Amino acid sequence: MTEPKKLKKPRGKARLIDNSCIACGERCMSSCPTDAITMNDAGEPIIDYEKCIGCIKCVKVCPAQALEMFFSPEEQAILDEIARHQGGADDAAAEAEIDPDARQLQEMLAGYRGVWVFIEQTGGEAAKVSWELLFTGRALAQSLGVELSAVVIGHQVEGLCSEAFGYGAEQAYLLDAPVYRHYRTEAYARALCHLIGKHKPEVILMGATGVGRDLAGAVATVVRTGLTADCTGLSIDDHRNLMQTRPAFGGNIMATIMCDKYRPQMATVRPHVMQMPEFVAGRSGRMSRESFAPPEAEILVKVLEVIEDGAGHGKVDIAGANIIVSGGRGMMGKENFAMLQDLADALGGVVGASRSAVDAGWMPGERQVGQTGKTVRPTVYIACGISGAIQHMVGMQDSDVIIAINRDPEAPIFQIAHYGIVGDLFQVIPSMTARISELRQAARRHSA
Amino acid sequence: MSAQQLFFIPLFIVALASFAFSCYQRFAPLALCQDDDRFSNPAARLKKTLRYALGQQRVVKRAFGFNHLLLFWSFLVLLLANGEFLLAGIFPVLRLSALPGVLYHPLTLVFDLVSLLTLACVAVAAARRLFFPPDYLSSSYASARSGEALIILGFIAALMLAFFFLRAAEVALGLEPAAAWMPISNALATGLKGISVTALETLAAVAWWVHALVLLVFINLLPRSKHMHILTAIPNCYFSSLEKPNTQPRETFTHGQVFGVGSVERFSWKDILDAYTCTECGRCQDVCPARFTGKPLNPRQVVHDIKVNFLENVSLLKNGEQPRLPLIGEAGEGCNSEDALWACTTCGACLQACPVLIEHLPKIVKMRRHLVETEARFPGELLNLFENMEQRSNPWGIAPSERTKWCSQLGNRDFVTGTTEYLFFVGCSGAFDNRNKHVSVAVATLLDQAGISWGILGKDELCCGDSVRRLGNEFVFDLLAQKNAALFKERGVKKIITQCPHCFSILLNDYRQYGLDLEVIHHSQLLAELVAAGRLQVTAAKAQGQVIFHDSCYLGRHNDVYQAPRQVVAAATGTPPAEFTRHGENSFCCGAGGGRMWMEEHLGTRINLDRVREALGQGAQTVCVACPYCLTMFEDGFKDEKADSVKVRDIAEVLAEAMAPGR
Repeated sequence: MTEPKKLKKPRGKARLIDNSCIACGERCMSSCPTDAITMNDAGEPIIDYEKCIGCIKCVKVCPAQALEMFFSPEEQAILDEIARHQGGADDAAAEAEIDPDARQLQEMLAGYRGVWVFIEQTGGEAAKVSWELLFTGRALAQSLGVELSAVVIGHQVEGLCSEAFGYGAEQAYLLDAPVYRHYRTEAYARALCHLIGKHKPEVILMGATGVGRDLAGAVATVVRTGLTADCTGLSIDDHRNLMQTRPAFGGNIMATIMCDKYRPQMATVRPHVMQMPEFVAGRSGRMSRESFAPPEAEILVKVLEVIEDGAGHGKVDIAGANIIVSGGRGMMGKENFAMLQDLADALGGVVGASRSAVDAGWMPGERQVGQTGKTVRPTVYIACGISGAIQHMVGMQDSDVIIAINRDPEAPIFQIAHYGIVGDLFQVIPSMTARISELRQAARRHSA
Repeated sequence: MSAQQLFFIPLFIVALASFAFSCYQRFAPLALCQDDDRFSNPAARLKKTLRYALGQQRVVKRAFGFNHLLLFWSFLVLLLANGEFLLAGIFPVLRLSALPGVLYHPLTLVFDLVSLLTLACVAVAAARRLFFPPDYLSSSYASARSGEALIILGFIAALMLAFFFLRAAEVALGLEPAAAWMPISNALATGLKGISVTALETLAAVAWWVHALVLLVFINLLPRSKHMHILTAIPNCYFSSLEKPNTQPRETFTHGQVFGVGSVERFSWKDILDAYTCTECGRCQDVCPARFTGKPLNPRQVVHDIKVNFLENVSLLKNGEQPRLPLIGEAGEGCNSEDALWACTTCGACLQACPVLIEHLPKIVKMRRHLVETEARFPGELLNLFENMEQRSNPWGIAPSERTKWCSQLGNRDFVTGTTEYLFFVGCSGAFDNRNKHVSVAVATLLDQAGISWGILGKDELCCGDSVRRLGNEFVFDLLAQKNAALFKERGVKKIITQCPHCFSILLNDYRQYGLDLEVIHHSQLLAELVAAGRLQVTAAKAQGQVIFHDSCYLGRHNDVYQAPRQVVAAATGTPPAEFTRHGENSFCCGAGGGRMWMEEHLGTRINLDRVREALGQGAQTVCVACPYCLTMFEDGFKDEKADSVKVRDIAEVLAEAMAPGR
């Protein structure tokens, strides 16, 4: 990159390869920075070569590879010349040829290295999603060939750093000060912005929780970069860009979003979307303790009192459960929920309920799934004796696997269930429980 | 000047001044309140005043109201007699007896008879309050046997008795030339025959003074009691909403704006006039479904609380200070609890019941607006709803692209500008709720059979915004309404069919605030028309057992559509549907209106269960409804009552079945 170049590499022009346009809907036209492309009636591009600057955007965006770059004979001669000088077409040559703007961008991008995961904590206890992100972050860091760092902000939270190492972080930035005792947007945003300014990471991941959504937006605005919320997939392309995939248009398509001109690249991911990494006790990493802390007087928001959510201790949080066995009106009575508890125990899950079961007093209100209860997204949701009123379905339809057990084959729940069992749940559920326990025991014997 | 004049004139002046001062104290502060244009179209207002104030149309809806009608008209007649009485007390020459006999004699007769009638009415009213008071006369604040009510009745009785004794004494003294025209006073005079002249003169003087003093005290009591309605009921009817109060005023969202009513002066002057006018008759309380099922809401108390709060805070407000008594807070006289405000289903039963046309509903929504928009304080369940409405424009947060799923079997049904006649505004329930999709399909099938040109907006349709508006989230409603209105204009929509009374009412009434004047028709109306015109010919009318029809609040009470759905059911089943005891304008809410559909019902008993039990009590085998919310509430209710055999059907489903014998 440092060696001087005499010849300017020609950029060529874009052209359409005959009979390959699929009329995808003007993607090339909308990608063109110089408005060199117009569309004909068949939805194919007409390229104005006077205007084309050879930026290759249209070629890249074309879903059918119907556009290519071509060079005039003079340009081709220069290209050949360069190739001779370089002794092969390597990327470094091309890179060196690019214009000053692009060079500046390259340099800016190169200034950012490393993958960060923001470790969200409340009262010193980390949100599970932060560990899940370390799993994803590790894969990203490996493809980028950089370190995976945890960012821990709080008061007396040093312990979280070693926990983060256990979950796979290689480095941890720790900001530990009384001002960070409770989450406050301003304090945390300033802290994170400070770290970004100082250490320049290329990727920052946060949980799409109340705190994460709040903080990510505030930070992205201040550092002037892009942010993709609620990603379901993250990977790295061959230009070190983070490919952020998320559902768009009401879940009908998956969009892959990239932030190729700004750094850091920021994304949030909902809980339970990514896998939980294995905890390796005793694994250690490098900890850098940072001293930055905004003066308390400058933070306008004061936390007067923290009021615990109704849940409290000893109550089951169905919103965070991985496996939920839910019962509805078809359970016929409170006593029959013991059967569901058995199944849930065998699976390592919890028992939920539909509104009618809660109304009938069979289950407490905090177990209610649905519009006026909790929205859940477990890996497995087993709906027992739940007909599937819309009010219930909107609370569980995003579960990975839905298994419905109902006597009525016409029950709407079967429309969204991945597996449906039409039958008497009083026979089906005990036999399921028995079979699962059997398998478990067999597995235990096997491993023993 | 006689001694009587000497005492009476200063007394009269003091009483009048005190009355004027009380009125000033009550009415001048109305200027502190928000503006409300209630002066348009005087002719229509006058007509309303004649019907409801002078004609007492609402008052006589209940049998006992007839007693009030008699009292009211007696009062008007005796106003003349009492006017004469006061005037003559000051200028003794100004007496009706100075009129020629042909005028004076009949007047005398009328006064005599009407006074007796009044006395009888007062006796009936007092007996009702004392011996057989209906429940609804009492509230948490007032008892049916309240001293105030009895004092007023006592005053009226005293006035009548004093009147008779005065006249009888005058007749006995031979001072009354028209004695023959006073049957009652004359009879009383006969009884007084044995008494000496001095005693008669004393009796006359005492009767005169009793009459005079009671009258002056009575006048002064009016502005300071619930009998203020004697002064305000007529203007309140005049200034009442010319249209049914089924909408709420639009809010503007600009910087520095205050939203909703969190403090009493944020109400409009008409809201306060309403509160002054409330007579505590308790009829709204008697019909309120929330109150009926043990919720803390009582529309009568809401109105009363506003009045008490206004009077309590008025002196502070005049000085620009903060009110002392909060308008929304811990329940108590003058303060509305949040639970009470959230309990309202906006069913409009109170609006329908009020004899003096008080508009309870807009007041409750205005206070909800304050809670939602200024305080962000509302039942937790609504968070989900508000988010979904804002982000996905439907209550469940389902992808808009799924709005067309219900008609995927029917081919492309997009509304085409200039070609399609009717927009079928399917509504969120009709598009997303599995049960209600059947209704949408039934409506669509019937429209096709009748050859109606219809189309849908598909994924572009947004929620009409009924629930969020009634819940006080005017901001989100405004977003939805603006987008829908722009969409209707852009697509050239002129006529809309809805299958939901909530969509129907809000598109028809509320959207006018957004410059839309559309022909909106509920499917019941269109289907009834098509059946009547022979465009839908029932081929297989079949009896479905005992079919009963349930009036939806937003179809019936709020928009006066009562007959159309019944005609559809009658055509489909061959017989007119049976009626609930509470039907038509007295129908009982299913419990889902006003955004209650999206809330838990933690307080009191279930409204839908009350209605379901009523249906079961009447032996219903099929309940016909014309509203997706009612459909859901009834089905849930029957399941809860373990009465799964009772079917709940939309009128369109019943009709569609009768059209297709093959199925």
